Amino acid sequence: MSRKLPKYFFNFVCLLVYIFLLAPIVVVLLSSLTTTEYIVFPPEGLTLRWYTELIEHPEFMQSFTLSIIVALGTAIIATAIGTLASLAFVRRQFKGKTAIVQLVGSPLLIPSVVFGVALLQFYSWIGLAASPLALILGHIILTVPFVMRLVVASLVGFDRSIEQAALNLGAGPMKVFFQITLPIIKSGVIAGAIFAFITSFDDLTVALFIVSTDVVTLPVRIYTYMQYQYDPIITSVSSIMILFTVVLMLIIERVLGVGKVFSSKN
Amino acid sequence: MSYLSLENVVKTFNKTEVVKKLSLDIQKGELVSFLGPSGCGKTTTLNMIAGFLEVDGGKIEVDGKPVHLLPPYKREMGMVFQNYALFPHMTVFDNVAYGLKLRKVPKTEISKRVLEALEMVRLDGYEKRYPKELSGGQQQRVSLARALVIKPKVLLLDEPLSNLDAKLRQEMREEIVEIQKQVGITTIFVTHDQEEALAISDRIAVMYEGRIEQVDDPASIYNHPKTDFVSQFIGEVNHIQGKVLETYENKKCKMHFFGNEQIVSVPSVKNSEVHFFIRPEKIQIALAESDESFQTRVERKMFLGAKTRYILKVQDRHLIADISNTVINPTEIKEGNSVYTYWNPEDLLPSRMAR
Amino acid sequence: MQAGIGTEHDLLLQQKKKNMNKKRLDTWLLLLPTLGIFIFFFLLPLFFLFMTSFKNFDASTGVGNEWTLQNYIKFMSDPFYLGVVWRTVKIALLTTLITIIISYPVAFQISRSKGRARNYLTLLVLSPLLISMVISWVILLSNNGVVNTTLLKMGWIDQPLTLLYTELSVVIGMVHVLFPYMVLSIMGSLEKIDPSVIRASQNLGASSFRTFFSILLPLTLPGVFAGSVMVFSLSVSSFVTPAILGGPQVKVMSYLTYEQVAVMLNWPYGGAIGFLLILIATITIIAYSKILARSEKGVAIQ
Repeated sequence: MSRKLPKYFFNFVCLLVYIFLLAPIVVVLLSSLTTTEYIVFPPEGLTLRWYTELIEHPEFMQSFTLSIIVALGTAIIATAIGTLASLAFVRRQFKGKTAIVQLVGSPLLIPSVVFGVALLQFYSWIGLAASPLALILGHIILTVPFVMRLVVASLVGFDRSIEQAALNLGAGPMKVFFQITLPIIKSGVIAGAIFAFITSFDDLTVALFIVSTDVVTLPVRIYTYMQYQYDPIITSVSSIMILFTVVLMLIIERVLGVGKVFSSKN
Repeated sequence: MSYLSLENVVKTFNKTEVVKKLSLDIQKGELVSFLGPSGCGKTTTLNMIAGFLEVDGGKIEVDGKPVHLLPPYKREMGMVFQNYALFPHMTVFDNVAYGLKLRKVPKTEISKRVLEALEMVRLDGYEKRYPKELSGGQQQRVSLARALVIKPKVLLLDEPLSNLDAKLRQEMREEIVEIQKQVGITTIFVTHDQEEALAISDRIAVMYEGRIEQVDDPASIYNHPKTDFVSQFIGEVNHIQGKVLETYENKKCKMHFFGNEQIVSVPSVKNSEVHFFIRPEKIQIALAESDESFQTRVERKMFLGAKTRYILKVQDRHLIADISNTVINPTEIKEGNSVYTYWNPEDLLPSRMAR
Repeated sequence: MQAGIGTEHDLLLQQKKKNMNKKRLDTWLLLLPTLGIFIFFFLLPLFFLFMTSFKNFDASTGVGNEWTLQNYIKFMSDPFYLGVVWRTVKIALLTTLITIIISYPVAFQISRSKGRARNYLTLLVLSPLLISMVISWVILLSNNGVVNTTLLKMGWIDQPLTLLYTELSVVIGMVHVLFPYMVLSIMGSLEKIDPSVIRASQNLGASSFRTFFSILLPLTLPGVFAGSVMVFSLSVSSFVTPAILGGPQVKVMSYLTYEQVAVMLNWPYGGAIGFLLILIATITIIAYSKILARSEKGVAIQ
């Protein structure tokens, strides 16, 4: 019995940590259902009122649409260019490779607030106004390192003789890439795209500097709304964001298996 | 007129020539093995034929047309890889059909030809499986069907059996020969396994350090090796030396081995030392002395099933003799016994070692 | 005849040269989009900001025309700003320490679990990385938030505690967000341990505690170390968490950068603070790789 005691204690500690991790999600989701005019937990009464109220706040809907557009654009472009660059990194030798590898990996090390400031200054100099494109360009920088980590990991173990077999059967280099290579590294590419989407969708720091009054992403909208008001609208918007991300995470889990994504990430 | 010809083909990696002016002519329908130790350039040569590596000199022709400047996808060659290299995301059917789809063969014909090819490699019924659901031998059969279904001009096999276990390896190699003869396709088979090469080839090209040492049919390679490397690489040999006592006409001479004299057909100079190889199974032993024999002591004996291996000591040398158990009953000879050893002078393989 | 061979060889050389040029071109075409975007929208903006940080402040345009070191000198010589640096580092250190303590048992449990349970637990610990939940902490920690209401109801306190906009709230939020990095890092090193080592230790009669301290802990130290560096440098540079949970009351360097640029419109000074922030994060990582290189050498010698 006494040998079991540490084990119970150990499991109890883990449980506390899991509660700590989950508590914020549960609190937001539940308190978005309150009937009161103020945020309270546990919610008093149950209603979807704060979700329907959202429809009367067109600015939130606009921001949501903008965030989706930006996140989609970022995911598509970052994944496309990141995959191409990964191919060059893994398979080709060229001058200045280490320098380029470091350059492309460095956004992970640069505080995003500094990058945001730098980008804002640069945009104002070249006269690029706040726009989905301006946001996408900034987010590409933030997400390409993630995409490349995942795609490089799936390319490193790639058996080149599979491509040789296709060449041998008469497929030209383009066909080999689209019909053989890409389908085989698919899981790394999809994982990269989803990570890029989520990172872009959640980004507050860089977007905060780039947005203008009519181009506002959802996280920035919530942040500025919170500066002035503090009502359950915040919780319903946050809940939608959480549910959206959870769905994406479950897709990763279903399609690829979380172990796969996580092992290549590390 | 040869069908596939290599002419002075050269390949250089980092300034080292790994294939040195290699020339070889292969007839239509012939199965030629490239045999040699790792690093001898056999796989490099195969990759140049397939087009995965550029040649650095010389030329390669198929059916009278140069192909060495073409990219691999225009060479019409079928290749089977050591690690199968099946497309993991396609079913067996789609793997085999891939080459045909690229050639825009009509759908009905594709499915007919794929099914025929799968039947040929005895995998009918496996169309819907994925490569990972197959055993190694089955995967290699799919790979063979995939290469053959496009009716390539040349079939290239890159150590196709080396990832299989011993028993399967033997089965597969018989199957490959059977299919090759049935289809009548010109084939190059790369291997480091001499037994495999001897068993299946019409001709063997023994390679060493980027050169072809000898190209011949298996029996000639084994019985009449032209270089020391071939003698030592193919089969086992005893290395012996003798002194030339007298020289005669017709390149014959009288030689002295272990206190015994023999007339041997080898060009030589009087009083010189001449080196020979002799295969263990060509050495004979007897319990009684004869004119040709010399006395040896049995140091060890090993029972090997149909034959017995005797390690014989004479003077300060060891000789290995493999004797069929139907010729001499191994129970008659004990370790430590003296036996009389002899050989047929024609079985001596002259060595260039001392020349 | 001789000429024939000559031209054939020339043809070969020509083809080889063509192939090589094509390959080189391919490589740069693959790199070009990424490289172009990184040079234009990452390297260049940072470079210009760096230049700006050496300019004087001009009230009308933000950036003046004179070159100066004043921004850096001002920051380094003002106790208030040095206090901010200290607070930033203190929060990062605290965050790192707490993350190590709470990550270890979880990493251990996940690395022992299998199948579905393992997948969902992994997903759970990864969730803070993917779901931005800073706002939830506002709801939990505010004066009339969940924690205070609960404590009041229980009668443990008489009036609400000030939890939000304190260093405590920033550390809590930071631990929550950065927890996944530590867990992943420790799990990575736990997974590398051969299970037979642990079994061997137990067979030799070592207690669980002994096994842990003499075998597991030393073997996972590199993972803990790597995780700490990651958590520390991410914490130092993080902006969202301190901005929302600390606000102007708990100023850290990233917030100062933001404030100088977005509120004071003092670009040069904001830029200077930003580059000092980069310096701190970079020093951590360089120091880490130095120590790592030395310790690996030590292992090799042993």
